[in-house]
Amino acid sequence: MKNNSIVIESNNLSKSLAASNEGGDKSNSSQTLQILHLINLKINQGESVAITGSSGSGKTTLLGLLAGLDVPTSGEVTLLDKKLSTLDEDQRAALRLGKVGFVFQSFHLMDNLTALENVMLPLELDSSLSLNNSAIRDRAKEALSQVGLEPRINHLPTQLSGGEQQRVALARAFVSNPTILFADEPTGNLDSNTGNEIVDLLFEMQQQNNTTLILVTHDDELAKKCETHYRIENGRIDNSEQEASLIENKKEVYVS
Amino acid sequence: MTLSNLLKQNKHFWRLAEMRLLFLALLVAVVAVTSVGFFTDRADRAMSSQATQLLGGDMVLTSSRPIDKSYLVEAQQRGMGTAEVVSFPSMVSSGDKFQLAQIKAVSKDYPLHGKIETSFDSAGSITVTTVGSLNKDEVLADGRLFVALGIKTGEQAQLGRSTIKLAKIIRKMPDQGTNAFQFAPNMIIPLAQLPATGLLGEGSRASYSYLFAGDASQVKSFNAWLKPKLERQERIRTLDDGLPAVQQALTRGQRFLKMASLLAVILAGAGIALSSYSLTRHEISAVAVLKTMGASRRQILTRYLGALVTVAMLAAIVGVIIGYFIQSYLATYLQDFVGQALPKAGLLPVFIGAATSLIMALGFSAPHLLQLIKTSPIQILQRSNTVAKTSFMFSFFSLAIAVFLLMWIQTSDLKLSAYLLIAVSIALGVFWLIALLMLKLIRKLSQRWPLPKANQRMALMVVVFGVGLFSLLLLTTLRDDLINRWQASLPSDAPNHFLINIQPNEVEPLTQLLANKNVETPIYPMVRGRLVEVNKKPISPDDSVFAENPRAQRLLIREFNLSANATLPEGNIIRAGEWFGDGDENGFSMEEGIAENLGVGMGDSLTFDIAGQRLTETITSIRTVQWDSMKPNFFVLAAPSAFDELPRTFITSVHLSDDNTTIIPEIVKQFPSVTDIDISAILTQVRELINKAAFAVQAIFLFTLVAGVVVLFSALQSQKALRRKEIAIYKSLGASRSLLRRNLLLEFAMIGGLAGFLAAVLALVAANAAAYTLFDLSPELNLTLIIIGTFLGASLVSLAGYINVRGLLSIAPVSLFR
Repeated sequence: MKNNSIVIESNNLSKSLAASNEGGDKSNSSQTLQILHLINLKINQGESVAITGSSGSGKTTLLGLLAGLDVPTSGEVTLLDKKLSTLDEDQRAALRLGKVGFVFQSFHLMDNLTALENVMLPLELDSSLSLNNSAIRDRAKEALSQVGLEPRINHLPTQLSGGEQQRVALARAFVSNPTILFADEPTGNLDSNTGNEIVDLLFEMQQQNNTTLILVTHDDELAKKCETHYRIENGRIDNSEQEASLIENKKEVYVS
Repeated sequence: MTLSNLLKQNKHFWRLAEMRLLFLALLVAVVAVTSVGFFTDRADRAMSSQATQLLGGDMVLTSSRPIDKSYLVEAQQRGMGTAEVVSFPSMVSSGDKFQLAQIKAVSKDYPLHGKIETSFDSAGSITVTTVGSLNKDEVLADGRLFVALGIKTGEQAQLGRSTIKLAKIIRKMPDQGTNAFQFAPNMIIPLAQLPATGLLGEGSRASYSYLFAGDASQVKSFNAWLKPKLERQERIRTLDDGLPAVQQALTRGQRFLKMASLLAVILAGAGIALSSYSLTRHEISAVAVLKTMGASRRQILTRYLGALVTVAMLAAIVGVIIGYFIQSYLATYLQDFVGQALPKAGLLPVFIGAATSLIMALGFSAPHLLQLIKTSPIQILQRSNTVAKTSFMFSFFSLAIAVFLLMWIQTSDLKLSAYLLIAVSIALGVFWLIALLMLKLIRKLSQRWPLPKANQRMALMVVVFGVGLFSLLLLTTLRDDLINRWQASLPSDAPNHFLINIQPNEVEPLTQLLANKNVETPIYPMVRGRLVEVNKKPISPDDSVFAENPRAQRLLIREFNLSANATLPEGNIIRAGEWFGDGDENGFSMEEGIAENLGVGMGDSLTFDIAGQRLTETITSIRTVQWDSMKPNFFVLAAPSAFDELPRTFITSVHLSDDNTTIIPEIVKQFPSVTDIDISAILTQVRELINKAAFAVQAIFLFTLVAGVVVLFSALQSQKALRRKEIAIYKSLGASRSLLRRNLLLEFAMIGGLAGFLAAVLALVAANAAAYTLFDLSPELNLTLIIIGTFLGASLVSLAGYINVRGLLSIAPVSLFR
């Protein structure tokens, strides 16, 4: 099912922050902390990609930059054929609308919305779909039944277990048939059994919808389920890991 | 978009505690504003319509000499209604019985507003009688005149050279209540019959009035036309002039109600600011998630603005309805006193309520809303919950504009609103500064004792609770002052009879008679005099110094009641100089207000013209007088024997209990010239009014209390998330529940105590300032308030705080890892 059209591309992507000094000494505030350094990668439509690395390696920052949630210090991200540097915050948001989904470690469901209302949100935001309320409701119900939560659609997040909450989050992420799905430690807050169920569900839905999956995790087992694996160390892509991944998956990747 | 759509779209926001608190705060504000608004609006209109009836017209021109007829012609040409009144005292006789009556000769259109209500016997059914319907020689008179002359309706009496027929009893007429010292019974005769009586000759003492009626603009332009033409003895009375005492009490009460509602609004504003702040903190991650999904800033703004407008409109609708019911309850309760059914509630308070709700929701939340829109989507990955910073100036101006608009709507006075805004800002600044200083002190102390660590957050809480407690304490103090003052002005033994026209030779036997009945009361001599010279220089109301001072002009036109006494009358307080000593024969003691108005002070000499004789004395003391004491009060008192050589009568007031009824007939029998004025009916009415007004004041006070509780819980709710984390951390470090409980209670008690202390100090200052300037009450230093304030603050905040965070004590530290 995969075609080779590129959906995300990064060119010499770098991110640095002004290092804040704990003592509040302003004279040192000009020092910078390099978080990401010259990252180059290309991700194809339908591909599943794992980004791993130790804490503070910069993997989550990379995810944010690729999704256009943050802006790089230098370099360029091309997301769905649009150069992000040419877009402002709202234009980047419009680009994500309906085409990019997210799954987070702490689920981030709106706690004042029922499971159903949470899943309806992405469709409600996208006025280009021109769906009426009952159509939106139907699609959201369908998405929830795909994750096996149909009996609990009217429950608030606080009335759901962690695994159930993450299922709602999956339904919310897939309800708009996104081209790309970003997942940030999706099993981080779950026990291993529940985590495995969620992972299986995630990959199943990804393959069904031919969604490009970019998964950030520190779990190497999870990373192995992806076709491509980038390892970030000290803000750079660890090439050895990439080579290994290349050999294992026999896949072509662009290496800086 | 319809409201039901908005409600449907925003119903999920209702699930947030912060949104419900926001709604509650808005609701309290709207209810306070509308119930007071509806009520004061109705009472105001009732009072002015009553005032026009009391005056008999919209405007009255009075003079001690006949007035130029051309004024009437001019008014008629302007399309205004006119009537004429000539009023003077005269004896009426029947057989061997005589009675002094206040004769009112009126033209046939009298009165222009209000009615003359009459009946055939003192308890008979009431009908309206017009002057034009009276036959030749027919007159109307108060029931008292019939009783004094011993005749019935339809019987005849003698007035001057005319024989008149007393056709009906006057039950109610305009101008009846404006002069409490007019004691003679009224008699109304058609003006056309006046010449036949032969009573008014050249130089007769009478009061001539023209009554005018028209719409507001006619009255205003005619007033402007008339004013420059007025002679020295002519003066204009309109609705704004001297309201009767009962209405003054009501005005004072209304002022209090308005202030209470304004404070409730400000308190609710604090609640709104706090709950929208916690709403913002709560919604940051939601906004970040929405942004990752592709929501634009505009969509975020619409979403939250929509929710705010919805909650504001809902609060406005529910609040207006509740406010309407509360005021209609108040109105039924109070309308007996206004003496008539109140006019229907106006629509204005509805708009004011809606505007208040919207201004508060938007003005107090706007800075927080802006922060939400600025939230970056990357925050959701960084697991941070930081609030984007808004500029201090933006927050300040947004709040300042909202507060200013609210005050303007409430007071409809631009200048007053600006002053209030500045006062509130300064008060907040002072609060903040003192709170920081005191917390710094506590921080120092906590190095030695196990006290909670003071921080910025505590300073914020102290300010918030402080402002809340301040409003409550201020209102409590003012309310108590107001009610006590009202009730003290009419103690149960307040005089209910005035005895006037006591002749010098009757003073001794009358005092004896009263003493025999165990009634002791001072008897004051009374002379009438006109102030003609100050420091031997002639003084006139036309003097340029009085050009801007109509009160002084009026004082100089009319005659003063002067008296002389050996002892300082009860309720009077010497402010400067000394009261007359034994054997003093010289000097005047002046009332403070009148001395100020006339620009005279200690050491100035005043000359009065008393029935053609001149009396000159120096001011030797300045006094304050309790005007509403229902006892004889005098602007000017002279040394004990100053009037011994002048023509004078005496006056006294006594309290007669219901079982002491024989005393008055005895006095009247023994001293025929003495006139008894029975004011017990008026007193009962005033007492009822006071009790009812006090109830209204208490009712409105409740709103402020509710607003305060809302603020308390909003403030605590805003800190809950932070506290949850703190408690989890403490627990993970091994803190026991009991230790945490102790720390929390101590911290809350400290915040509350500090807030209560500051609030009490400030409330004391503000209450005294307000009592003095707004309600004409004298300042008072109430130290127990500070103790009560501190204690109240500490216990209230600890209690509410503990209830709010109690659930958090059982939190598992593992929640930190989620």
